[in-house]
Amino acid sequence: MSDRQAKIRELAAAALSEGRVDYFIGWKQGFNPSEVIPAFVRSADEVDELVWNPLAHHNLTTFLKRKMPDPPNARIGVCVKGCDSRTLVALLQEELVDKERIYVVGVPCDGIVNRRRIEKEFPDEVVDISFAGDTVTAVTRAGDSMEFAKGDLLFDHCNTCRYPNPFYADDLAADPVPEPEDRTPMWGSIEEFEALSPAEKDAKLAEAFETCIRCFACIHACPVCVCWDQCVNRSRRPALVGQRVDTKENLMFQMVHMFHVAGRCPSCGACDRACPVEIPLYLLHRKMNKELYDMLGFEPGVSLEEKPAFQTFKLDDPFGEH
Amino acid sequence: MAQATDTTQAAGTTPPGAEDDVKVVGIVCNWCSYAGADGAGTARLKQEFEMRLLRVPCTGRIDPLFAIKAFEKGADGVLISGCHPGDCHYSEGNYYARRKFELLDRMLPFLGVEPDRFKYTWVSASEGARWQKVVNEFVTKVKALGPREGRAL
Repeated sequence: MSDRQAKIRELAAAALSEGRVDYFIGWKQGFNPSEVIPAFVRSADEVDELVWNPLAHHNLTTFLKRKMPDPPNARIGVCVKGCDSRTLVALLQEELVDKERIYVVGVPCDGIVNRRRIEKEFPDEVVDISFAGDTVTAVTRAGDSMEFAKGDLLFDHCNTCRYPNPFYADDLAADPVPEPEDRTPMWGSIEEFEALSPAEKDAKLAEAFETCIRCFACIHACPVCVCWDQCVNRSRRPALVGQRVDTKENLMFQMVHMFHVAGRCPSCGACDRACPVEIPLYLLHRKMNKELYDMLGFEPGVSLEEKPAFQTFKLDDPFGEH
Repeated sequence: MAQATDTTQAAGTTPPGAEDDVKVVGIVCNWCSYAGADGAGTARLKQEFEMRLLRVPCTGRIDPLFAIKAFEKGADGVLISGCHPGDCHYSEGNYYARRKFELLDRMLPFLGVEPDRFKYTWVSASEGARWQKVVNEFVTKVKALGPREGRAL
């Protein structure tokens, strides 16, 4: 684990001191060792704040959509995990990111830990999370500590991960980790929801979306939701989403996000992790990708040559009436 | 507000006392299905009257969110129809559209909308009789499911 951290620092320092990038985006420790947050490193002296551990869940490619013009013609270094690299490929497919202006450090990944699952075990605030092998130790402010097996804490999409190694990277922070031979996607926990009756599904969705505060965290965290500063969700004309705050409008809000990233979203789960009220957005995006795979055998962000599913068509697409 | 409701009822197409009061939105392209519906009307082919038609230039213009918005606003069924693949007035609009509608068709049941409440199909300008059949079949199915009351979507 720390090997990768050392290598990330080394690669970042080299890129910054040689002037190949203006700044480097990685992960650093948050307010305390229980949290990892995105880091913007601007000089080789600062690279020691970069960290890598299984809390580094942020998909940093989301900053590319906002930061490419800052400063004009900025050259940006960025760290990506396997899942993050798929969103990067999706952005490159549409030429929304200039390949010449990015320097990508790929981090082979063993799975990311869901910090919320740890938080829920304690009534108190978690202030320290440390990793030793497959054991995760969490300590609270009051001094209570608990040990977990890392395997129990992984995100759903890590358990079903088919691309642990970055798909697109200029340099790798470690040797690639073993990859599954069978790349057929697994869909995780969506079957349970699929099996419900329409009324039950509706009730579950209503329950989940009642709490949405439309904070736009899902949209800002999403790397492929690219018109984030011109979002139709903020628009009054066309008024696709109303000003009224209720379950229906909240659901509509999310439908806008979901259908706008269709064909580019590899369901990295960034929206789900960003959601402060824990709406199961991953479930919706995963289902969308499952259907796209069934329809077209299409997986977003796995080939630089491919076009996003909805920007192209085949005359003999195998569905619909002819 | 009460006045507005009264006006709607007065102008509504459903005769008073009808039990299966469902609202069905049809989104059709200008060049084929709208002309097909026009043909059906001119030929006086009897159709279910719950259908409200919206005309757009091409099915390629139809965002899946239009259908979702219709459901959110209280539609009980949404029918989308355009030119047959290969016959698009703009050459390829309906090919792009087909992918979007297929995804929508597959996602709606996941969002708690019964599969029979959404359909996308192709009706050309000369197929008035086919339009009649499509509308009658679709609306009958939606009627069988009844109105969607108090749904999230």
